[in-house]
Amino acid sequence: MKFKILLLAVLGFVFTTIAQSKEELAAKEFFWGKDDKYKNANEIPDKWKNESAVVIYKNINYDYHKFGKRVTYKNSIRKRIKLLDKNAVEEFSKFSFKNRFRSTKGLYTWRNKGKVFFAIKIVKPNGKEIAIDVDKEAIAQDDGNYKIAIANLEVGDIVDYYFYSVEPFKSPYEYIFDPVERTLSDEYPIMNFKLYLETENDFFINFKSINGAPKLKEIKTDKRNFRKYVLEASDIEKQDFPRWFYPLAEVPAIKMQTYFARSGKFENRATAFLPENEKIIKSNVSQNEILELYDTRFRPSGNIGDVKGFLKGKTFHSNEEKVIAVYYYMRHYYLTRFIEFMVVAKTQILDNAFYMPALIQNQKEFVRYFTLFLAKNKIPYNIVVGTKRYNGNIKDLLIEENVDLVVRVNTKNKVYASFFSPHTDINYISPYLEGTDIYLLSANKKGKMTEIKGGKLPSSSYKDNLSFKEYKLKLNDDFSEIKIDVKTKLKGYSKTSDQYDRMIFSDYVYEDYKKYDTKDFISLLKGYGLIIGKKKRQQTKQKLDAVITKLKGKQKKYFKEQTEAELSVGEKDIEDYTYKIEKTGRYGINTNFVFTEAFKLKNKYIKKAGPNYILEIGKFIGGQVKIKDKNRKRDANIYMTNPRSYDYKIILEIPEGYKVVGLDKLNKSVDNTTGAFISTAKVIENKLIIETSKQYKHNFEPKENWSKMLAFLDEANQFYNEKILLKKEK
Amino acid sequence: MQQNRLLIILCFLITIPFFSQKRTQPTPEEISQATKLKQKFDKEDHVALLSSKDFVTFGYDKKNDKVTVTHKIIEEYINLDDRSDITIYWFYDGQSSIENIKVLYKSKKTAYLFFKDEAYNSDGLFHNDTRVKYAPLSFPLKGFKYTVKSEEKIKDIKYFTKIYFSGEYPIVKKEITVTIPDWLEMELKEMNFKGYNIKKEVKTDTKSDAKIYTYTANDIPAQFKEKNAPGPTYVYPHILFLAKSYTKNGVKKPLFKETQDLYNWYKSLVNQLKNDNSAFKDKVAELTKNASTDDQKIKNIFYWVQDNIRYIAFEDGIAGFKPDEASNVYTKKYGDCKGMANLTKQMLKEAGFDARLVWIGTKRIAYDYSLANLSVDNHMICALVKKDGEIIFLDGTEKYNPLGEYANRIQGKEALIENGDTFILKKVPEAKAIFNAEKITYDLTLKGEDLVGKVHKKYTGESRTYLLYVLNNLKNDKKEEALKLYLNKDNINLKVSNIKISDIKNREEDLKIDYDITIKNAVSSFDGEVYINIDLDKELETLELKDRNLDFVFSSKKDLESTTSLHIPDDYKISSTPNNLDVDTKNYKLSVHFEQKGNTIIYKKNFTIKNAKIEKADFENWNTSVNKLKKIYNEQIILNKK
Repeated sequence: MKFKILLLAVLGFVFTTIAQSKEELAAKEFFWGKDDKYKNANEIPDKWKNESAVVIYKNINYDYHKFGKRVTYKNSIRKRIKLLDKNAVEEFSKFSFKNRFRSTKGLYTWRNKGKVFFAIKIVKPNGKEIAIDVDKEAIAQDDGNYKIAIANLEVGDIVDYYFYSVEPFKSPYEYIFDPVERTLSDEYPIMNFKLYLETENDFFINFKSINGAPKLKEIKTDKRNFRKYVLEASDIEKQDFPRWFYPLAEVPAIKMQTYFARSGKFENRATAFLPENEKIIKSNVSQNEILELYDTRFRPSGNIGDVKGFLKGKTFHSNEEKVIAVYYYMRHYYLTRFIEFMVVAKTQILDNAFYMPALIQNQKEFVRYFTLFLAKNKIPYNIVVGTKRYNGNIKDLLIEENVDLVVRVNTKNKVYASFFSPHTDINYISPYLEGTDIYLLSANKKGKMTEIKGGKLPSSSYKDNLSFKEYKLKLNDDFSEIKIDVKTKLKGYSKTSDQYDRMIFSDYVYEDYKKYDTKDFISLLKGYGLIIGKKKRQQTKQKLDAVITKLKGKQKKYFKEQTEAELSVGEKDIEDYTYKIEKTGRYGINTNFVFTEAFKLKNKYIKKAGPNYILEIGKFIGGQVKIKDKNRKRDANIYMTNPRSYDYKIILEIPEGYKVVGLDKLNKSVDNTTGAFISTAKVIENKLIIETSKQYKHNFEPKENWSKMLAFLDEANQFYNEKILLKKEK
Repeated sequence: MQQNRLLIILCFLITIPFFSQKRTQPTPEEISQATKLKQKFDKEDHVALLSSKDFVTFGYDKKNDKVTVTHKIIEEYINLDDRSDITIYWFYDGQSSIENIKVLYKSKKTAYLFFKDEAYNSDGLFHNDTRVKYAPLSFPLKGFKYTVKSEEKIKDIKYFTKIYFSGEYPIVKKEITVTIPDWLEMELKEMNFKGYNIKKEVKTDTKSDAKIYTYTANDIPAQFKEKNAPGPTYVYPHILFLAKSYTKNGVKKPLFKETQDLYNWYKSLVNQLKNDNSAFKDKVAELTKNASTDDQKIKNIFYWVQDNIRYIAFEDGIAGFKPDEASNVYTKKYGDCKGMANLTKQMLKEAGFDARLVWIGTKRIAYDYSLANLSVDNHMICALVKKDGEIIFLDGTEKYNPLGEYANRIQGKEALIENGDTFILKKVPEAKAIFNAEKITYDLTLKGEDLVGKVHKKYTGESRTYLLYVLNNLKNDKKEEALKLYLNKDNINLKVSNIKISDIKNREEDLKIDYDITIKNAVSSFDGEVYINIDLDKELETLELKDRNLDFVFSSKKDLESTTSLHIPDDYKISSTPNNLDVDTKNYKLSVHFEQKGNTIIYKKNFTIKNAKIEKADFENWNTSVNKLKKIYNEQIILNKK
């Protein structure tokens, strides 16, 4: 009996080995077989001889096949690259890959085992090919991971390699593959680029070439159910990524998404813009298609009984006021009241504490919940369908996942409501959406979307997104340190990231509890006193307090590090550092997030000049954007996140017995259509008061405006370098 | 519905029994103990070990004829902060295993942790057989305690080399107990005990005749997390285990009794090599055929290895000690230090030279070959014995390294050189700081509010080797930009142009860079006076060694000579220059001088770090000097209209 089992096992092993090698051989034949046109392509054009490496051929393949519910998805990439320097040799001298993986697509089964075949060969300058025996030379790591050091690699060699992934899975329902959005260009210049797409029936493809990328062409095949396409490009320069740049908005690129749907039922269910049938490659989505996809997906729904409770007994001057109040209430009810739970679970303060917070999961769910409140209160609204600027215009929408949703409430002043994070304000629209073209969906009485029309989202101005800092500086007697008090006020988009980075949960969760009279976590436990006794509750509270103390320590470190970075000083240059969050700025996009800091700056920015002192006062407007010489010319348009301004007020107490010399250089003004840097300086009594404002007026500038931007950026940089003389009075 | 969902959550929370953490709450005494320990130890220490006990015993593996080691550790942790989250971990490899890990609350109940076991990827090693077992450990309150027990089993005593008294966390009470059976001859070498009150007690077990050594020490601070520090073997107290021999069945067998034994083992591994040189026979012929002198032949081979063999290290089992075949390294074009040393040796032999392998410990290791122990060395190079008996060392891992120049990391270290059945011990010659001289000359003229002029930079020794390596490894298309960035220090006030650089492929010549420069914002005019900030480089400015416990170690000896000539317009006179500075000590020399010659100010800096380190005893003087230097950097040269 034992023998039989052993025999079976051996047979099984042999069988698998053969099957595997068959697939492996097929992959090899596919890339390096007799039809390989690039087998002897070893030369590169002269213009690229001074590059680090040149891609002779880059080939990407997506193959979708099925048998009933069984899908086999293959994707592969081959690169044939000539290495022209040591850096490139180093880059391609080590590879790592995972040769088996569990597919996360479709139904979860233990049998969904994906495989990756990796092969590599080297072509020596004399044309001699050396195949690397990957099976022999790769070293196994944990979990199917391998790494391999490529032997005998030298400058002048060509490396030719491919990764070929075969991923079978079972999908009884529809399945949407991850979208592919990539530029054709790469880190190195590419001589020849080919992308092949192979599909069968039941696979629906959206594909679009953008920014001048060549179109996808169909290749005739003999089989009825089988289709093949190719995109060919050549002579692609390497990609450069200057500051303020969205590659997908400028550079030749492709967008693609594939859907698997075995029947009309599944086609209808797919949250995707499917082509009419599998034979058509879809490259545009019409207004009507958007309406059709979303018509029943946004029926107001959800359980918002507690919103009703919240509204009970309250009166509002206007619907606008009501909408705002409900938005913040929902942010608390569906999010911030669970944050303490999450902290408890994460820090394992209570053993095995499971939590299942009733959170709103995504934008779509938010829209359904929020519009239910609007519908019940007969407040008119539209659903905004938009896409972020870096995806291109909404008219070029192709991939459903690129859609962003916002609710526009049509009160006297329009109110915009976006799916929230803990600090999201009403009227906050993602900066990537503001000012973009959108579609507006309107619902009938039953909540079905029946109408779609074009529109535009409002834009903020640089004044709305203000970062303001007030520095009060006082020198000590021997001029070795500056005592500094700083007050920072941030609003609009300028506060968003700081709110997340600077606040810990206790800074805002208890604020919400107070506002909405919510019980904190420990009090909630009180209701279950029979099981969690008073002592246990006390212990839990102690542990939660300990977490907060620990986080506060980290918070202080973060605050201090930010200030060190802002002033370009080291850890040891700042002493006696304290900070305080004065206002969280979480109830209104125009409310300020305010914090204050106090510290001593030691031996920095004061220089002795005989009996006088030079103070590098410009340094207090913080490090400025540095544009390197090579970037002073610009070929790409300028994409920034949002318009914004950075204002400073610097108040220096002039030391007794000294006067300030050099004010003239502190008065600057460059103001043009793209932005501005304006500064004024005056002495009032014993104080030098400097006010500066740096403004980025738009989120986008055409490349022709680069010189105008440079004008105010340079001026700000010059201010950063300005000094004053504290001259000893005789 | 929402309310219901919330109820479910609470039910979950409250129905889970909390047995495991019962009686784990810290007592007021424990909290006060934690507070006291926090004051006693470094403020950066978040947890401490109330006690840390090591028990080392030895066994005999009859089947493999090996002496084995069991190293048991019992540690009692206490939290010093309000809350701490740490990771407990153990390393092991093909020669060892970690067993019986237990983590207990103070109630003696087991804390069930989620352990992971992963291959450990060490920086610089492509592949090794080291693995790490680890788990996160949370201390929810100040004074919270855990006891962590583990057992490391080592298959062969030669891989068990030392135990430190200190570790990642401070230790209140440390105890190391070593039980040496009567059949094992072992010396416990006490290293760096000075300054620590370590007590030793020796007992004999009456039953087995084993000797029991117990070392105890109190209040040992955590090992310092300081950069540019000397290797831990210089600093922290530890016991080095020198296993000399063992006697079984009346037969005495040597372990590493003396250096010869260590050499014998190394040599036995080298003797297993086939040394079939046919793969590179032609290459050697090609490299040597046009060389007119022996030196030229040696250089051609040595430089070829440096330039063509990439450093990729595999340290798996015996591969950590045994060099790869030279032919393999040649064919693969990569190898670790041993592979490169062996290829250098075999290629030189092929060319008719007397080349040998050399075992050496880099400067990171405090030991020399008076100790026979595997932790004495960590590197292999090649030695060439010239006809007149002169020995030259060749380290293939050092790139752009001219023949006869040695990297600081091996200078002055004892080299164990192959010599048939015996060995030669020889120290790698030490170079003086001047050998690494870096010379900078600025010739500047004041034009309006800019300084304009020419710069000349010259690098020798290790200052050159480092730059050559960086420059040669940049992408072709980024070289110019990177060089510019290096020269203008990413400072938009410095405009660098017309760069001329000597041949970066030539490792034997000094590296020279010449360029034109315009400096903006270094000059300020106020009330008819001109203030000039003459120093662009401000070397050592940030190197005040405050709050530091360990010597500061430089990558190499440094010697900088910087001269700035500033020509000022005829209608100006110099009214003030900063003071001069002159400091000369055992380890460093700092000198700054201002001199006026006509309408030219000559500003000269000479900085020498003689022994590539600033010792802790020097810190006060060093900091005083650095502060003086900062003052000079901060002071302006003042010009007045004549």
